[in-house]
Amino acid sequence: MRTAVVIPAFNEAEALPGVLAELAAAVPDHAVVVIDDGSSDDTAGVAAAAGVTCLRLPFNLGIGGALRLGFRFTAEEGFERVYQFDADGQHDPSQIPILLAGLENADMVVGTRFAVGDPGDGGYRVGRGRGLAMGLLRWLVRRATGRRFTDTSSGFRALRRPVLELFATDYPVEYMDSVEALLLAVRHGFTVVEVPVRMRERQGGRPSTRNLRLAYHYVRVLIVLVAGLGRRTRLGATA
Amino acid sequence: MSDTAHLVFAVLALLALALIVRLVRLQALKAKYSVLWLTVGVLLAVSAAVPGVLDWIAGKVGVAYQPALFLLLGFGFLLLLAMHFSYELSRLETRVRTLAEELTLLRHELDDRQD
Repeated sequence: MRTAVVIPAFNEAEALPGVLAELAAAVPDHAVVVIDDGSSDDTAGVAAAAGVTCLRLPFNLGIGGALRLGFRFTAEEGFERVYQFDADGQHDPSQIPILLAGLENADMVVGTRFAVGDPGDGGYRVGRGRGLAMGLLRWLVRRATGRRFTDTSSGFRALRRPVLELFATDYPVEYMDSVEALLLAVRHGFTVVEVPVRMRERQGGRPSTRNLRLAYHYVRVLIVLVAGLGRRTRLGATA
Repeated sequence: MSDTAHLVFAVLALLALALIVRLVRLQALKAKYSVLWLTVGVLLAVSAAVPGVLDWIAGKVGVAYQPALFLLLGFGFLLLLAMHFSYELSRLETRVRTLAEELTLLRHELDDRQD
């Protein structure tokens, strides 16, 4: 089965070479597609030096926009399985088989940092404010989808063909795309499962957003979720 | 309204109308917006030229204080305009994003062929 890994990268020249080397060692038969999201550093050069496919956006679209391009490209190239991988070294290549194994009986797999039913205790620590916000998102997603997800914002995900085609055109492009993408997949009646995975601390670069902007995006996603509550019944039939 | 104030407002309204006509003639405004702004310009000019008009309308719809009607109409118009612009902006953003995707894919294809 043809498998591709999509890596959105914005100014990740520092961490990217290590990530690409690890991937080449762990999953040599997977096609690697780096999306250079309008970086001002040498992200594209680093990707080219590693000999992987690199799509260079003319300006920064944000992670959702970069991912959508990645899905569109891999869908057009005919890949059957695609997974997202962070350019900052947060994801552990040894966990990829666990993620892909989940696709055997699901359309989309989300790697969770928290063991199911035990949020906050999967070896991954978050601050109190972020913990609260994540708890709120979990609860809202549960209300909106009728399912429990422990890690709604995890960016370690795998999907297969029907979802890939949906995401190629409809992937949410605003920040916190991961939460919206989860809803989108569930609403279209796809089977989405979570699998517990190990994650690491980021190895380079900075978190892309903080404080006020983050708060704004929480409110935005809240509106998206609340707006989605009304549609629950209609989509509940397929869920 | 005193004659002086009346004159000032008439001149301002005419200036606004002249600016709108000029922008339309230069085709700096798209036709759909020019219709909108021309209507506004004409309305302004009419209300400045015939000061009794607004008072008459205010009386008809039962607004005791005529400037309130003017402000209400102006506010409502600007609100609708702002909403319309938000709508247009959203649409444009979607298109720009899609264009950026197309451009990136085309550039990639071109690079591939040159290799």
